[in-house]
Amino acid sequence: MSAIPTPTHDAHGHDAHGHGEHGHGDHGKYPFLRHHFDTPAQQFDSAKLGMWVFLATEILFFGALFAMYAILRFKHPEVFEYASHYLDTIMGGINTCVLILSSLTMAMAVYFAQRSKKGPLVFCLFLTLLGAVGFLVIKYFEYTHKFHENLVWGASFYKPVDEEERVIVTTPHQAPATLAEQSTAPDLSPGAASAALVKLPAADASVVKKAALGPGGLAPASGSPEQEAEVKAEEATEKALPHLLDPKMPVNTHQFFAIYYCMTGLHGIHVVIGMGMILWLMWGAMRGRYDGNYYTPVDLGGLYWHIVDLIWIFLFPLFYLIH
Amino acid sequence: MTMPMTFLAADPVGNMPPTFWMPEQASTIAPSVDFTFMVITWISYFFLVLVTALLVWFAWRYRVRGEHAEPVDGPTHGTFIEVTWTVVPTVIVVGIFFMGFKGYLQMNTPPQNAYQIDVTAAKWLWNFKYPNGAQSDDLYIPAGQPVRLVMRSEDVLHSLYIRDFRVKKDVVPGRYNVLWFQADNPTPEGKFHWLFCTEYCGTDHSNMNRKVHVLSEADFNLWVQEQGEWLDKIPEDQLYSKAAPKLFPRCASCHSLDGTPGTGPSWGPSNGLPSIWERTSQGLTKVDGGKPLSDLIGPGKEYETPESYLRASILRPGAHVVDGFANAMPTFQGQLNDRAIDALIGMMRHLDEFDAKGNFKGLDPAKTASR
Amino acid sequence: MPPAAAAEDNYLTHGRGILSWALTLDHKRIGVMYMVAVLISFLVGGVFALLVRTKLLFPGEVSWMTKDQYNQAFTLHGAIMVFLVIIPSIPAALGNFVLPIMLGAKDVAFPRLNLASFYLWLVGAGCAVWALLAGGFDTGWTFYTPYSSTTAYQGVIPVLTGVFILGFSSIFTGMNFVVTIHKLRPPGMGWFRMPLFLWALYATALIQVLATPVLAITLGLLAIERVFHVGIFDPAMGGDPVLFQHFFWFYSHPAVYIMILPAMGIISDIIAVHSHRHIFGYRFIAFSSVAIAIFSFLVWGHHMFTSGQSGLMNVVFSAITFSVAIPSAIKVWNWLATLYRGSISLNTTMLYGLAFIFLFTIGGLTGLHLGTLNTDIHLHDTYFVVAHFHYVMMGSALIAMIGGLHHWWPKMTGRMFNETWGRIGCLLVFVGFNVTFLTQFMLGSHGMPRRYYLYQPEFQIYHHISTGGSYIMALGFVITGIYLLHSLFWGKKAPANPWGGKSLEWQCSSPPPHDNFATTPTVGDPYDFSDLKWDPATGGYATAPADGAKTSRGGH
Repeated sequence: MSAIPTPTHDAHGHDAHGHGEHGHGDHGKYPFLRHHFDTPAQQFDSAKLGMWVFLATEILFFGALFAMYAILRFKHPEVFEYASHYLDTIMGGINTCVLILSSLTMAMAVYFAQRSKKGPLVFCLFLTLLGAVGFLVIKYFEYTHKFHENLVWGASFYKPVDEEERVIVTTPHQAPATLAEQSTAPDLSPGAASAALVKLPAADASVVKKAALGPGGLAPASGSPEQEAEVKAEEATEKALPHLLDPKMPVNTHQFFAIYYCMTGLHGIHVVIGMGMILWLMWGAMRGRYDGNYYTPVDLGGLYWHIVDLIWIFLFPLFYLIH
Repeated sequence: MTMPMTFLAADPVGNMPPTFWMPEQASTIAPSVDFTFMVITWISYFFLVLVTALLVWFAWRYRVRGEHAEPVDGPTHGTFIEVTWTVVPTVIVVGIFFMGFKGYLQMNTPPQNAYQIDVTAAKWLWNFKYPNGAQSDDLYIPAGQPVRLVMRSEDVLHSLYIRDFRVKKDVVPGRYNVLWFQADNPTPEGKFHWLFCTEYCGTDHSNMNRKVHVLSEADFNLWVQEQGEWLDKIPEDQLYSKAAPKLFPRCASCHSLDGTPGTGPSWGPSNGLPSIWERTSQGLTKVDGGKPLSDLIGPGKEYETPESYLRASILRPGAHVVDGFANAMPTFQGQLNDRAIDALIGMMRHLDEFDAKGNFKGLDPAKTASR
Repeated sequence: MPPAAAAEDNYLTHGRGILSWALTLDHKRIGVMYMVAVLISFLVGGVFALLVRTKLLFPGEVSWMTKDQYNQAFTLHGAIMVFLVIIPSIPAALGNFVLPIMLGAKDVAFPRLNLASFYLWLVGAGCAVWALLAGGFDTGWTFYTPYSSTTAYQGVIPVLTGVFILGFSSIFTGMNFVVTIHKLRPPGMGWFRMPLFLWALYATALIQVLATPVLAITLGLLAIERVFHVGIFDPAMGGDPVLFQHFFWFYSHPAVYIMILPAMGIISDIIAVHSHRHIFGYRFIAFSSVAIAIFSFLVWGHHMFTSGQSGLMNVVFSAITFSVAIPSAIKVWNWLATLYRGSISLNTTMLYGLAFIFLFTIGGLTGLHLGTLNTDIHLHDTYFVVAHFHYVMMGSALIAMIGGLHHWWPKMTGRMFNETWGRIGCLLVFVGFNVTFLTQFMLGSHGMPRRYYLYQPEFQIYHHISTGGSYIMALGFVITGIYLLHSLFWGKKAPANPWGGKSLEWQCSSPPPHDNFATTPTVGDPYDFSDLKWDPATGGYATAPADGAKTSRGGH
C-alpha cells in the first residue's frame, strides 16, 4: 500500500487545515489511519467535513422547529408574550451559564488533546460532563414544577393529566380550604399566580369533572345542554387550576407549552446524547487514545457540544425572555 | 331572494359536451381552463413528437450495425444551441405561467353579490345550507348567477370538486375555505354534475359523492323555498313516514337497516341484539367498554328516556360510543332540527315499516292496531 | 451470489460466510445488500400495486377486497415504493457500489456509517412490518393530518417511526457521499472531470442532508400529536393542519428530486457510454443538476394550490415551479444531442436509456399542466397527478435504476445477462408502462379522483386498459428478474469493460477486487472514449496503448 504513488495532499489542498502533513505511506506509522485514506490529514479533514455536514442536518432538524415556533408566534403573539411569564427566567439563566461554561471546558479539552495532555483532557471532559448533568438536573426541576402546575401541552393544559388517579388520592378535607383561599382573592399578576400555585396541592384537581375550558376553536356549536354543563365544569376548573384563574390568559396558551416542550425536549435529548459521547471520550482519553497526532473524536465531539449549546442560546431568549 | 345577477348571458346552445381530454364544460370559467389545458397539451404534443422523432431518428440512423461499436467523435458542446434551448423553454413556460395566472385570478375572486351556500363536510357526507335555512345533501344552484360556497369540515380534510365546473378547494377543519363558480345552463331532467371529495378521508372517501343540479332561476327559487319548509309542512302523524326516508340517506353511509355491518352500528338487528329501538329501550346495548345502556337510561339517570339518549347520540355522538365502533360520527348539531330528529327516532321505533334502503313500505298492521 | 468463477480475489469472494456480509464495511457489498433489499421491497410494493389495479377492474365493491383493505393497499404501495424503494434505490444501492470506484477510492469516507445506514434501512423496513402487525395504516403515504392523527389504525405510529429511521439512513448516505466526493477525489479529477453520475449524486446528497431532517421532525411532531395531542396541527386546539402539509412537502418535494436527479445522472452516463461518444454539454448537464437541487427547495407549495393557502403564495409557487422545467429541458436536449452522430449500441441498457428520455419527456411536459394554476385546480388530486408522478418516479427514476442495474450488472456480478431476453423485458415494461399510465392522464382530466375504491362506470374502460397495461409491465419485470437471476449462475463471464465506458469503474476487473484498485488509476476525461478499442480476446474494450492517459476534453 505504501507503494501508491498518488493522492498527495494537493488534491485536498483547498481544505487542508494544516494538521499533520505527513506525506505518503502513513499506514504503518499511524495505527489509527484507516485503510481507505492516504494521509492522516485527509482522514481528519474528511471527518471534520462529515461532522459539519452532520451539524447542518442538526441545524435543519431544529430549524424546522424554529420555523414552527416562528409561525405559531406569528399567529398567536399574545400567547407567547403571556405564557413566557410562567417560565422561570432565573433557572433558565443559570442553565444558560452552565452550558456556556461547559462549552468553555469542552474547548479546553480539545486544546489539551491537541497538546497530548492526558490529565487535563480527562479533567476538562469531566467538567463538561458535570455541566451537562447540572443542566439536566435544573431542567428536571423546571419540568416537574410545570407538570405540577399543569402547565403542559394540549387539552391536558386545561385539566389534570391524571385526573382519575388524583380523584382517588384526594383527601377530602384538603380541597375545600385551598379552594376557598384561591377563589376569594385571585391575584391576576402572573407572578403572584404562580406563587400561589406552589401552595396549591395537586389534590385540588379533584373538583375538576371533565375537560372543560376549550381553547379557541375547540368548542363546537354552542347552546346544547352539555355545553352549559361544560361551562359549569369550567368554572370549577378555574378554581382548581390557577393559571386558568387568570382572565387575561389568551386562548391557545397551550400552544406555547406544546412548542416549548417539543423544542426543549429535543434539545434535552441532544444533551443526553452529548453526555454519552463525553463519557465515551473520557474513557478513550483515560486509555490514552488521543494525542497531538490523533484527536479527531475530541475535536468532533467538541463541535457537537458547541452546537448543542448554541441551540440553547437561541432557545433561551425565544422562550424565557419574550416580555 | 336577491335579484339575480347575470354575468354572462346563458349560452343558448347549452354546455360544451365532453371532449377527448375534458369533461363537459358547465361553468363560466370552464372554457378558459380548457383553453389553457389545450394550449399546454398542444405544446406538449409538439415537443413530445419532436423529442421522440429525434430520438428514434438518431437511434436508428447512428445505430451500430456490426457486433460492437467503435468510439466516434461528435460535437461536445455548442454555445448557440445550448442558449437556444435554454431560452426557448423559458419563454414558453413564462407564457404558460401567465395564462394560468390570469385564469386563476378569475377563479380566485368571488364576485361580491354571489349567492352564498354554507357547506359542511364530514366523514362521509356533505351538507349544503341555503340562506333561508333550507338544507340539502345534493347541491342545488341557481343558473346564471355566481354562487359562493363557504366550506368547513367537521373532522378531517376533505376537498370539494365539481369536475364539470373545473373548481376544487380543500375543506379544512378549523378554517373556512371559499369557492365560487357560475353555471349558466340548467341541467336537463335526469342529468346532473358530479361532486367528488378529492382529499382522502378514509373508508368511504370514494363514496362521498353528491350530485349538483343547476336549476333555472325560477325553479331554484321554488325549490329552495319548498326545501326550507318541507319538514314543517308534514303533518305530525305522518312525520316519520314522510320525513325519515328523506333524512335517512344522510345516515345511510354509515348505518344500515338490515344488520349489515358498517362504520356505525346497524339500526336493524345485529350482533345478536334486536333492532335499535328495542336494544336501546331495553338498555341492552353496551357502550364505553362494557357499560350497558340500562345504567344510563332511566328515571334519575343520565338520560330520562331512550328518546333523549338517541337524540343525544345524534347531537353529541362522542359522549358514549357503542362498543366495537370507533368514535367516528360527526355531530348533527345545527343540521337536524328537533322535528328532523323526532322523525328519525320515529323511524327507529317503526323500523319494520321501512325497507332496507329506508323507503317507507306502509304501516305495520300489528302496530297500527295498537296505536 | 454466483459461485466464484475463478480463484481470483474479488469483493464477492473476499471473505465468506454470512457474517462476512453482515459485518462488511466494503461499499460494494453494502451496495449489493441494499440492491437486494430494495428489489425485494419493489416486489412487495409491486404486488400491492397489482392488487389495487385489479380491484379497479370493477367499479363497485368486490368481495375479496374491502374499502379499508384497498385504502391500506394503496397506502402501503405508496409508502413502500417511496421510502423503501425509490429514495434508496439509486443513491444507496447503485451509488454506493459505483461512487467510490468512480473516484478511484478504496471506499466511501465513512464505511461504518455506510453499514449503519443499511441497518437503519432494515430497521425502518422492520417498522413497516411492525406497522402491519399492529393493524396496518390507511393514511396514504402523505400522512395528512388530522386524518393520520385520528385514524383508528394502530400502525400509524410504527410506520412514522419507520420513516423517521429511514430518514436517518438516507441522511447517513448523503453525508457519506458529500464528504467522499469532496475529500476522496483522486489527483487530476477536478469537479469538471467527474462523471455526471457523481454530479447527480452530489446534488442528491445535498438534498438528502438538508431536506430529510425536516421530514424527520415533521413526522416526529405528527407522532407526538397523535400520542400526546399537543395540538400543533389540530384545528380543534388552535393548530393548523395545513402547516403539516407545508412541512411535509418542504421535504417531500425535494425528495422527488432525490429520486430523479441520480436517475438523470445514470442516464447521462448510459447515453454517452452506449453512444460511444463524448457527452454533449457536460457543464450544462452538471449545472442543471445543481440548479434543480436548489429549485427543489423552493417549490413545495405547488402541492397545495387547493389547500386554501393564500392566492399570492399559489402564484409565487407556480412561478418558481416553472423554473424547474428549464434545467430539465436542458438535460433532455443535451441527451438528444449526444445521440447525434454517435455510434449507438441498441442494447438493453441503451433501450432503457432511450425509454427514459421518452417517459421523462411525458412526465415533464404534463408537469406543465400541473404547475399552471388554473389547470391544476381541475387536475389536483385526480388520476392526472397519479399518472404524472408515475411517469416521473417510476417511468423515469425506476427505469433509470433498472437501466443502471443493467449497465453495472457485469461490474457488480461479473456476469453478462442475456441481451435478447433483456430487450424483450425492456419492451414489455415500456409498453406496459405507457398503457397503464397514459390512460390515467385521461381518467384524471375527465375528473376521476385518486384513492377511490368505487368509481363511476364511465371510467371503467380506462381502468380496464390501465390494469391490462400493469399486467404487461409486471410480466416484463418478471422476465427481467428471471434472466438476471439466470445470468448469475449461467451468464457469460463479463470482461472488465463490456460497454466501452471510460470512467474509473471500467478500469478495474469485473467484479472489482476488494480494494478496488491496486494502484490509483490515471484520471482523464470520463467521456473521452477515443482511445478505447474493441478487444476480441476479452470481449470488451481496452485502452489502446499508444494514447495512454489522454486528458484533453476532446472534440472541441
